[in-house]
Amino acid sequence: MSIELRVYTGLEKYTGTRYGELIKLELAEGTTIRELIEQYKIPEQEVFSSLVNGLHKSLDTVLQDGDRVALFPPVGGG
Amino acid sequence: MPKFLRIDMTNQQLKWEECPEKYLPLGGRALTSQFVLDEVPATCHPLGEFNKIVIAPGLLSGTNAPSSGRLSVGAKSPLTGGIKESNAGGICSQKIANLDIKAIVVEGLPKEKGFWMVKISPEGAEILPADDLAGKGTYEVTEILLERYGKKVGVITIGPAGEMLLAGAGVTNNDSDGNSSRYAGRGGLGAVMGSKGLKAIVVDAPKTFDVPVKDKERFSAAAKKFAKILMDHPVCGEGLPAFGTNVLMNIINEAGTLPVRNFSNNGRFDLANNVGGETLAEVAKARGGKATHACHPGCVMRCSNVYPMPDGKVCSPIEYETAWCFGPNLEISDLDVVAKLNYLCNDIGLDTIEMGVALGVLMDAGVIPFGDAAAAIKALEEVGQGTPAGRILGNGSVFVGKAYGVTRVPAVKGQGIPAYDPRSCKGNGVTYATTPMGGDHTAGYAVTSNILKVGGFVDPTKAEGQVDLSRNLQIATAAVDATGLCLFVAFAVLDNPEGLPTVVEMLNAQYGLSLTVDNVVELGQSILKVEREFNAKAGFTKADDRLPEFFYTNKLAPHGTTFDISDEELDTVFNF
Repeated sequence: MSIELRVYTGLEKYTGTRYGELIKLELAEGTTIRELIEQYKIPEQEVFSSLVNGLHKSLDTVLQDGDRVALFPPVGGG
Repeated sequence: MPKFLRIDMTNQQLKWEECPEKYLPLGGRALTSQFVLDEVPATCHPLGEFNKIVIAPGLLSGTNAPSSGRLSVGAKSPLTGGIKESNAGGICSQKIANLDIKAIVVEGLPKEKGFWMVKISPEGAEILPADDLAGKGTYEVTEILLERYGKKVGVITIGPAGEMLLAGAGVTNNDSDGNSSRYAGRGGLGAVMGSKGLKAIVVDAPKTFDVPVKDKERFSAAAKKFAKILMDHPVCGEGLPAFGTNVLMNIINEAGTLPVRNFSNNGRFDLANNVGGETLAEVAKARGGKATHACHPGCVMRCSNVYPMPDGKVCSPIEYETAWCFGPNLEISDLDVVAKLNYLCNDIGLDTIEMGVALGVLMDAGVIPFGDAAAAIKALEEVGQGTPAGRILGNGSVFVGKAYGVTRVPAVKGQGIPAYDPRSCKGNGVTYATTPMGGDHTAGYAVTSNILKVGGFVDPTKAEGQVDLSRNLQIATAAVDATGLCLFVAFAVLDNPEGLPTVVEMLNAQYGLSLTVDNVVELGQSILKVEREFNAKAGFTKADDRLPEFFYTNKLAPHGTTFDISDEELDTVFNF
């Protein structure tokens, strides 16, 4: 299955991309967000928000074909 | 004894009076809102002789409590017709507090046209002619007054927009670098100051952190503990210092609740990253600016930035809401254009959010095209020039909508809604609809639990839980705004059970009180009641506590949501 991944706000150092750069991935069926971040050796505690199609999802979430995944460390403002 | 300084513009007189007993336990928003209810007739013309501006430091301002230098400016708003407290950083709050001034009150109208300024120092205060400053932008005015009175003075001033009595005008003051960009922007208070012929207030105080504290040892321990609570929190200690508030751009975009193209029905902008916090930090550093910067001395979160522009000037800071309103909201994706529009607002004396929302409406009207940076810059410049088109824009989003026949006007109580679409960030929708301030994101910043996972999690796309969330945040925010603490301490206070008790401990040590956490909640509630009472007297009803109708009927992509919180539920927000 194909998914879109974007990482932001410092996490890009693990993916070797630029922040927000579209990363297109082919993943095995049943892959979770946790397995995805392990693939890039992103320390789990650094991922504060994982959004799938714009909604907060836990790291155990099984990804589906066509998902848009975005990962963030703690961010805030206002 | 703390004092009130009354500036009587009718008789050109200054009067010092002892702070009335009633106001002694109040500060910041608690003081300004109570004062406006007490002394401003709710039905008065906001630009007439009976309105008053009151400027007050928070209860902790002028001490070494971390991030406690916020300034409250209150009056009846010419934009909303209701009560307004607008809150700013900058160096003036701490200086005013260190002059033992509880509040500065500006009242009356001058008998003849003209502009004046007031100089306040430990030696006293004087009112001086300022016709030489009239018509000048805030950067120039501040530079002149720093040259005249010393590089360390604070300058509260208005730009040409305030002089022209435009409802989008703000009141600004400077940061430690002399940048005149720390705005009490919202609600048109610059026009109230302009109506009174007051161009500037210079605050000359040699001290910043030396307000008398009853129990110094206890206070110092609490202040240290509070600084640690802030620094240990991932948002206050890491996210905000590294990238500033504009770090929000990408997560709000990813969450699909970024207003784009005048709150169209799409909550994402493909080029949002180009105007986001990461890009801002990268460009600022590459050009010799700063990605982190304090808006007032003693702030530990340092969420401000210094962005050098191609023309050699600097814009400091570019906040998220400003980057949003001049970026995605106008379909502009060039951070240099955002900075230019931001700088123009600072100089002309305008609220960035109101101008960004108003430009969105102007573009929706087809007067200028979406995405046209040059046309947006020219439109804002016209506000400063006072052309008829400029005056329409300068009066804000609702005025622009009326002038050009646009019904899609994202505003509540006359004030433009900021950077979080209420259809997929419904907690903030409740706040926009119900806060006595009009469309205001800070008054009950439900983005915390809706998007940022701070203070728990409430699904932003669902109606459930949003009223309770907004109510609790509105109460907490009112209390924080009374202390002079920056609202951003709330990220840590919401997550750390030691947070609020430590704020209470600082207040008790400073004033020799024995307040409890419950008292602070009561303070927040009482502020909201005071503000609601003023608005009721000014003619507001529950019909004013609603969002514009398109939010209820037009679905927002990608989540396909509308704002579906019923009127009955909205009317329970203030059930306390």
